[in-house]
Amino acid sequence: MTETLDALLSRRLLLVTGKGGTGKTRVAAALGVLAARRGVRAVVVELGDSDVLPELLPPARPQRRAERGREPQPVAENLFTLRLVPEEALLEYLELQLHVRTLARAIVGNAAFHRFLDAAPGWRELLTLGKLWHLSSLETRGGSPRWPLVVVDAPATGHGLSLLSVPSVVLDTVRMGPLRRNTDRVQALLTDASRTLVLPVTLPEELPVNETLELRVRVRELGVGLGPVLANGVEPALGLAEPERVLAALARVPRAGAPSPFADPDAVGAAARHRLARAALQRSFHDELALGLGEPPVELPWLAGGVDDRAGVEALADALSGALQ
Amino acid sequence: MKPDRWLDCRVLVTVGTGGVGKTTIAAVLGLEAARAGKRALVMTIDPARRLADALGTGPLGHEAREVPRERLQALGVPEGGRLAALMLDTKRTFDELVERLAPTPEARERIFANPIYRNLSDALAGSREYSATEKLLQVVADDRYDLVVLDTPPAAHALDFLDAPRRLSGFLDGQFLKLLLHPAAVVGRASLRLFRSGSEFVLRALERVTGLEFLTSISEFLLAFEELLAGFGERAREVARLLRDPSCGFVLVAGPDLSQARRAESFWERLQSEGIHLVGLVLNRVHPWPGAGEPPADDAGEAAQAERWLATALGAADPGLAAAPAASALVSAARAQAALARRDRSVRERLERALPLEGDAFRAVPLFADDVHAIEGLARMGREIFGARRDV
Repeated sequence: MTETLDALLSRRLLLVTGKGGTGKTRVAAALGVLAARRGVRAVVVELGDSDVLPELLPPARPQRRAERGREPQPVAENLFTLRLVPEEALLEYLELQLHVRTLARAIVGNAAFHRFLDAAPGWRELLTLGKLWHLSSLETRGGSPRWPLVVVDAPATGHGLSLLSVPSVVLDTVRMGPLRRNTDRVQALLTDASRTLVLPVTLPEELPVNETLELRVRVRELGVGLGPVLANGVEPALGLAEPERVLAALARVPRAGAPSPFADPDAVGAAARHRLARAALQRSFHDELALGLGEPPVELPWLAGGVDDRAGVEALADALSGALQ
Repeated sequence: MKPDRWLDCRVLVTVGTGGVGKTTIAAVLGLEAARAGKRALVMTIDPARRLADALGTGPLGHEAREVPRERLQALGVPEGGRLAALMLDTKRTFDELVERLAPTPEARERIFANPIYRNLSDALAGSREYSATEKLLQVVADDRYDLVVLDTPPAAHALDFLDAPRRLSGFLDGQFLKLLLHPAAVVGRASLRLFRSGSEFVLRALERVTGLEFLTSISEFLLAFEELLAGFGERAREVARLLRDPSCGFVLVAGPDLSQARRAESFWERLQSEGIHLVGLVLNRVHPWPGAGEPPADDAGEAAQAERWLATALGAADPGLAAAPAASALVSAARAQAALARRDRSVRERLERALPLEGDAFRAVPLFADDVHAIEGLARMGREIFGARRDV
């Protein structure tokens, strides 16, 4: 059963993940746009390593360096972006906990502590989740959520799963103290499907499909809610009735006299065959995915104009909105 | 460097962002090495079942499996040429490393029993990347292979694995760790006193934030590893040497869209600054223009004219055919294909300008409409990269 768009946007935290190259960042941006269009104040979060959002959703005003990584930046009405950097989240967390800014800075500035952090396990994931929890728990003066919807361009499958599994490891090893309390809250948010969903993005290709099916099993094991699978980049049908008959007729068309390369029977025929074969290949992986899911995925079309700027994201948002009706 | 010369390397590393086809290109390089009479091993991270099916190795695992002789023979691999593949297993690689480096069985068991190790050896910063390089050292030491092709992990920072050994050894040698492990041993040379008091202060403040228990569990985890420190550091330095050795070549794999091209450019800069030998770039899944010459520029008027002409011609060739809609669909398919081919060509030109590689180190592989995961598909991609002249 596929969720409607309204049900999806009524969540508090959407974690968009999938294999690298499937279009996670773009889908996350499009979800933010859709929320904003419906008057849901949304912040789209990109995690430290990646820095693509400013191209897709350019900020409404130039960002001050000091604001980056802490305060969501306005893009349009009800639409914000944030680049979440674990190091910055650590500083913010220490400030909140210690109530002394200079003390927090002294800790983070300590060179030996830095080398420790460079390789210490799990803290980046934990602080990333902590910051997401913090964003979704902030309230306005009137007591309503400041960020009703947080959409996260989460890391690709493997790292995404590590991210989700870190709270349970911490809860296994830490029985008390402030870290325990904070992690409990994070875990409660993550494992509440009425508030948090993982949205897998995939392509109708072999490796992305396999990875998506494995991802779903692992996400379920972690007790985190799963939203619909979004199959991205579905190439449009050629729209050719009786393709073999047309191609056979095309082969009999005289080569001479074609007024343009777009009428050259060889080029046109080869382009059509290429498209037909691609469509058949995509269809077979699509079917494999649907079989694994037990239902058809939500299909997002391949967009000829590309999704490299705000206009592209708006077009993807239109497609997403149509596919989820 | 010409692709033929790539195969003279002892190690080839495919790098690039996720989803560009690194694993497939790694398999193609391995197969081409076998066709050149070498004994090649491909190390992958992706559980590409159909790639394993295509190679006929059976399911790939931690131990290398050979591609059956008859499959190789059919593709013109000479008598001495061999191809094997394995799939990296982070946990097993780490376990093996611990087994080898642990000075006593007790030390080994202490690590295996530690809950943080059991749950987080995967999340230990860069552990996937570290285990890839660790396994690489093992197989390079193995003289059964002339060439090892390493398909790098699809990390968010796809070059993380260059840092992983350095980070891990820097961490394990670090002062902060020593302080965590031996908080009592704080009396030392005067020059170190200032540093120590600073770190102790940090430690005490952290205790307030995280609770003592967390720091204690981390300390126990690290303590269990302490005895392995020297070994880890030495392995890390070996890997760093190997990856920068002239016998180790990196092949950058990129896709033909603009954002992937931008990322390929920043990779290139990073590799340069790391002292890595980039031997070539493979631009994968380039849309071909099937007609003669360059893909034509788009022109609505010309397209409408083409449609009318084709509709008439198709009607003449097959009078019963609904010629007008067919002509319309055909022309729009051709226009879409031309648009993609033009975009890919401009990305290619951009990369050629940005990366000062010799002309023949820059190879484009077309997007095939059918399944490239069959072994014949790999051989076909190999011909695109290496040229057809070695074909039998």
